[in-house]
Amino acid sequence: MTPRRWADARAFGLRVRLLLAFVLLGVTTTAVVASGSYFQARTVILQQAQDAAVMSLTDQLAQLYPLRQLPPTQEDLDTLAQRLSDREGYAVVVCRDMRAQGSEAPDLLTPQLRQAVRDGVVAWQRVSVDGEPVLLIGTQLELDRPDGASLPSGLEVYSVRSLAPEQQSIDRLATLAWLTGGLSLVLAVLLALLAAQGVLRPVRELGRAARSLGEGRLTTRLSVRGADELADVARTFNNTAATLERQVGELRRMEADARRFVADVSHELRTPLAAMTAVTDVLDEEADRLPGDAGRAARLVSQETQSLTQLVNDLIEVSRFDSGTARLALDDVDVAAAVTATLRLRGWTDRVRVDLPPGVVARLDPRRLDVIVANLVGNAFRHGAEPVSLRLRVEPDWLTIEVADEGPGLRPEVLAHVFDRFYKADTARTRSEGSGLGLAIAWENARLHRAPGQQGSLTAGNAPNGGAVFTLRLPRVAADDAGQAR
Amino acid sequence: MSVRRVLVRPLLTGGLLLTLLVAGCGVRPSEVITGRPAQSGASQGIRLYLLWRGQVAVVVRPTKVNPSPSPEASLALLLAGPEEYERRQGFTSEVPAGLRAVPSVPPAGTAPGSPPAVSGGAGGLTVTVTGPVRPLSTDAADQIICTVADAAAQAGQAEYFVPVTIVGSDGARPALPCSIR
Repeated sequence: MTPRRWADARAFGLRVRLLLAFVLLGVTTTAVVASGSYFQARTVILQQAQDAAVMSLTDQLAQLYPLRQLPPTQEDLDTLAQRLSDREGYAVVVCRDMRAQGSEAPDLLTPQLRQAVRDGVVAWQRVSVDGEPVLLIGTQLELDRPDGASLPSGLEVYSVRSLAPEQQSIDRLATLAWLTGGLSLVLAVLLALLAAQGVLRPVRELGRAARSLGEGRLTTRLSVRGADELADVARTFNNTAATLERQVGELRRMEADARRFVADVSHELRTPLAAMTAVTDVLDEEADRLPGDAGRAARLVSQETQSLTQLVNDLIEVSRFDSGTARLALDDVDVAAAVTATLRLRGWTDRVRVDLPPGVVARLDPRRLDVIVANLVGNAFRHGAEPVSLRLRVEPDWLTIEVADEGPGLRPEVLAHVFDRFYKADTARTRSEGSGLGLAIAWENARLHRAPGQQGSLTAGNAPNGGAVFTLRLPRVAADDAGQAR
Repeated sequence: MSVRRVLVRPLLTGGLLLTLLVAGCGVRPSEVITGRPAQSGASQGIRLYLLWRGQVAVVVRPTKVNPSPSPEASLALLLAGPEEYERRQGFTSEVPAGLRAVPSVPPAGTAPGSPPAVSGGAGGLTVTVTGPVRPLSTDAADQIICTVADAAAQAGQAEYFVPVTIVGSDGARPALPCSIR
């Protein structure tokens, strides 16, 4: 048996309960039937033996009449006792104070039997002698009276007869009854196991299928056998699973459509934007020479085109994450140098207080690290308050970068959505600042860095003194195939 | 715990059943079982009623020739008292040893000759003896009455429970049937 099946045979599981019920039923039925027939048969056997013995004795006694002398002499009694004894038993003859016995056995006659015989009836009694059952039959040899009644003569004859043969027959019956009981017990156990198997197999299959469905394998189906309740359950399960699979498939298709649409739109926008950028470059140069409103308009167009380009680039980046085509380009990077380069490139070196231990080398994607750091620092400038500080911490397996500002911090309702796409913490905020995708892209980039048992993360929180703190955690050595795990 | 309770009850029941089954096996000793009335049959000889430990009890004396004894012969044997082997077995008689049967006046119509000590018919018997009869004990009277009535009944002269009058030198005792039931 596999461990799984042992686990199924738990203390009061279906199998044990069925087993107990069957065994109890079998044993009770057999006990009632077997003991009933046993007692009945025993009564019949004993009654027949007793009746036959009584008949035989009275037949023998009838031949003693007519009595010639009463009271008889001791010799007469002895002769009589010998005459009535045979190999099946012996006789005891009692007359008043005289007694003769056909055997050397001890006196077995009970006072109750003597009294019943003295009262003038044929009486018998079973007694146990050293564990062997013995039948005692007694009667008085009465004398016919002329008026039809009879006169007590004081002459009593007892027959002592072993019931050992009957005991043997009855013992055989008992053995048979026990054997029947044992057989029915075995049968009950077998039947119970069979029934339990029949009930438990579908239940076990149902459990396995439900677990499989829960783990996301929506194609899981059960084979429906028979037309009982369990088959109904299996059918319902299949219908449910089919509906679920259909709806989830629908949802996935719609989601994929939407994402493809965004990606397509972003790509389609690139070409005209490139042309527009070229035009706005020219406009920028001419803007200073243009008078009044025309100059302002030229500068506005140039600025908005830049924002649009940023937005489209961000959208393309996001759609790569969504379609799972984002790949890490890993390299061994000096983290401090890379962060310093990022700040210098954006002209932020003087505005950020950095704490960068030198010589920390990690295997990661430098472009994505640059995107994350730029987004976090830029976000701190836009929404927090200076001074902004950046701190690098190193553990054996992890490296941690904390970006903190001295602003008012993040409100709880903002904290929950801060990495959502296009989430606006302040609805009244001017729309020109950022694409609204920066933190979302940073979050995806952090998660893209994986190693066996590790995954990069980006979390937001508040420092004790009130400023917002963004914490980036990356595995020290990201795996090459991390992107494919998505 | 419920699990324990669930287990305990069937086990107890099963154990009890098993004990009962095992205890009831085999051939058990029984009480006295009574059947039909005791074996009964005829006797061949003269029946006399003696006393055994104060109770009237019947004895049978073997006879050589006469299979149907007369009441007179039975009475004579009774008055003669128990024989030696009967005495040894504890039989006694309360009939005084001096009592003798005497010939009484035969009723009209009977043949003269040896007058019977026992006379009468279906309506009642009369026993005549020498000596006083009033001092006789109840048991002694019973002995005489039963012996005579039994013999008369066997001879076909009267019913077994015919009233018997004992007449002696001091008169007659009231007529009574044999008291043995």
